[in-house]
Amino acid sequence: MRFRPSFQIKLFIYLVVLFVTLFSIVGVYYYRDIERQLYEDMGLRAKVQAEEIALIPSLITAVENKDVSAINRLMMNISAHSDASYMVIGDGKAIHLFHSIYADRVGKALVGDDNVDVLAGKSSTTVRLGGIGLSLRSKAPILNAQGDVIGIVSVGYLTSHINTLTIEKAIRILVAAATLLLALFTFSWFFSRSIKRQMFSLEPREIGLLVRQQKALMESIYEGVIAIDGESRIAVINQAAKKLLNLDAPSRELRGKPLEQVIAPVSFFDRQVMLEKDIHDEICLFNNLTVVASRVRIMLEDQLQGWVITFRDCSDIDRLSIQLSQVQRYADNLRVMRHEQLNWTATLAGLLHMGRYDEAIRYIEAQSESAQELLDFVSARFCSPRVCGLLLGKYARAREKGVELAFDPACGLTHLPLTLSETELMSVIGNLLDNAIEATLLRGENAGPVEVYIVSTDTELVIEVADQGVGIAPERREQIFSLGVTSKREGDHGLGLHLVASYVSHAGGIIEVSDNSPTGSVFSVFIPNGLPIAIPDCVPVTIQPEQREEHK
Amino acid sequence: MQAEMIDVMIVEDENQLAQLYAELIDNHRWLRLVGMASTLREAKALIEEKRPQLLLLDNYLPDGQGISLLENDVLKKTNCSVIFITAASDMNTCSQAIRSGAFDYILKPVSWNRLQQSLERFIQFSQTQRAWKVVDQQNVDSLYQLQAKDFTSKAGNKGIEENTLNLVEGIFMQDAGRCYSVDEVVSETGLSKTTARRYLEHCVQKGDLRVEMLYGKIGHPRRMYRRA
Repeated sequence: MRFRPSFQIKLFIYLVVLFVTLFSIVGVYYYRDIERQLYEDMGLRAKVQAEEIALIPSLITAVENKDVSAINRLMMNISAHSDASYMVIGDGKAIHLFHSIYADRVGKALVGDDNVDVLAGKSSTTVRLGGIGLSLRSKAPILNAQGDVIGIVSVGYLTSHINTLTIEKAIRILVAAATLLLALFTFSWFFSRSIKRQMFSLEPREIGLLVRQQKALMESIYEGVIAIDGESRIAVINQAAKKLLNLDAPSRELRGKPLEQVIAPVSFFDRQVMLEKDIHDEICLFNNLTVVASRVRIMLEDQLQGWVITFRDCSDIDRLSIQLSQVQRYADNLRVMRHEQLNWTATLAGLLHMGRYDEAIRYIEAQSESAQELLDFVSARFCSPRVCGLLLGKYARAREKGVELAFDPACGLTHLPLTLSETELMSVIGNLLDNAIEATLLRGENAGPVEVYIVSTDTELVIEVADQGVGIAPERREQIFSLGVTSKREGDHGLGLHLVASYVSHAGGIIEVSDNSPTGSVFSVFIPNGLPIAIPDCVPVTIQPEQREEHK
Repeated sequence: MQAEMIDVMIVEDENQLAQLYAELIDNHRWLRLVGMASTLREAKALIEEKRPQLLLLDNYLPDGQGISLLENDVLKKTNCSVIFITAASDMNTCSQAIRSGAFDYILKPVSWNRLQQSLERFIQFSQTQRAWKVVDQQNVDSLYQLQAKDFTSKAGNKGIEENTLNLVEGIFMQDAGRCYSVDEVVSETGLSKTTARRYLEHCVQKGDLRVEMLYGKIGHPRRMYRRA
């Protein structure tokens, strides 16, 4: 695999490269600038010296007379006091009269080919390869009293000398720069490390991938997910959540909105409780949808950042668990049925073989008799086909679980109360039956049947479901109708009785809960027909418990 | 009133059973067999063609469940009634059939007496329906009774026994002014709670007892019974 430096190293290298490049450019520029400045300065110095020397009267006289020894004396003195690399005096024909370094040059021609202008009367400053090397030199003409050019003064600085000066300066700057760079490297190192730490030691590539993964993850889950910040403003909301809550607005519009604007406030979002603890699988009502919701705090370095709320549609879970348990049941049933079928056929074959035809017919008919009787009973006694269907369905379900549903012979539903819809009635009956069956199952084997008594009279509808199951602890009796209270290990988690209570009270009815004997509980629901009945005797009378005691 | 023949169709994939149904129908003086189908597809086509008034419909067919035919437009269009036949272990489907408005539901193994009874009831239903030119509410009610139940004699049986009724009513005779809850009646009579409730409600309906609500300090009101 190709070497891939970590983000920290990369950031560090980037910073270092940037600084080095920056310093190099600036350095080169300054170096050039200093060099240029130096050349200019030195050039000027050379020029001034040359021009001043050219004006010395004794020199002019000596040059005019070509008095080499006089010039030599004078110039030796001057050049000893100057920092110039060399000084040269030439005559009007550019022949050496004096050379401060090489005395043997006297009498030879000046080198450098830059004397034409000077002999014409102009000063010049040039960089030329002179007699002793590459040098910066300035030449000035020596004029006699008549103003004719009689000689040349040349003052030169070797470039090597200038460069030494420049490098000295540059080194000082370089040392300062290096110190600065070192400081910057250190800073870069710690800076990149701190960034890396803030990113959970993840590479930006990994973070990018994570963000994309998170998005895909959020959309792929079937549960509704909402993340909120510390002020309960929505940070993230997935499609499933929007679908469950029936929200049409696009996610970016929902982002930043206070949660209570999206989900009607419920105790689940109580600020104090939210701060205190996380919640898993609580039944609650989000915008009229019953959901199973969880809430988890997000902590970052001991600081609360917000919460993640996940929720599922309650009915989905029910459906799923029903489907799951059904598959298992089918498999078991098939095995049992095959076994029974074989026994059955064997018996039948035996009866037919022995010519006991009447017995054979009775034997066959007995197989469907009780079920057919129940079917006929239920369909005859309950006017609503949907209620019939519900009762038969519950009967079959209960029997599969080994619980018997016993219909009271007096059952009869001839009409529905005006205040209760058929669906609500089915919910009431269904939930009461489910509870009774569940309670019976909890008690285990040998629990008696669940007795069902449903009768509609002229004035009211009476539904009574009695089980001989585990019963209800006295201290729980007051809470069983509240939301989320349950003794069930699975299923709808205490929603059923809450629904029953709300439908019944909405229909103006009452629920009585009492103990069955020897065990179990009896739920009795009384719902008035909703028709005004003008019988004074039926006006409810309030009797206090104390009064009741007197009657005894 | 001259009765007309009723056209019946059989949908059953078990050939032997279908033959037996056919024999039963052929031997009946008011019934006429118009077709036999062994699959859903066949059944749909045949119903369109023969327009029967009654279908003997088995649930388990090679190409699907017979129950799906109950929801099918073909039946509604041809105004065809259904006697639905399914296995006794398949009560769930049966409850669905009831909701879908089948005329009757018979569990396998079929009791031939029960099937005969059901057919007779359908003949009666169909002829009554034909006889009435004007349908008033009473007629509709009777029709409904015929369609859904022929167990009127049984329906009258409320499970009330004279002795037990006397026992329950006797409690209220002792003290005319006193209120009793179900629990008190249970403890006095030794009846089970649901039985006690049945008798008490029966008395309320007869008008011998009346109901009062007892509002306790906490919780839900309790239902009390007092002599009317």
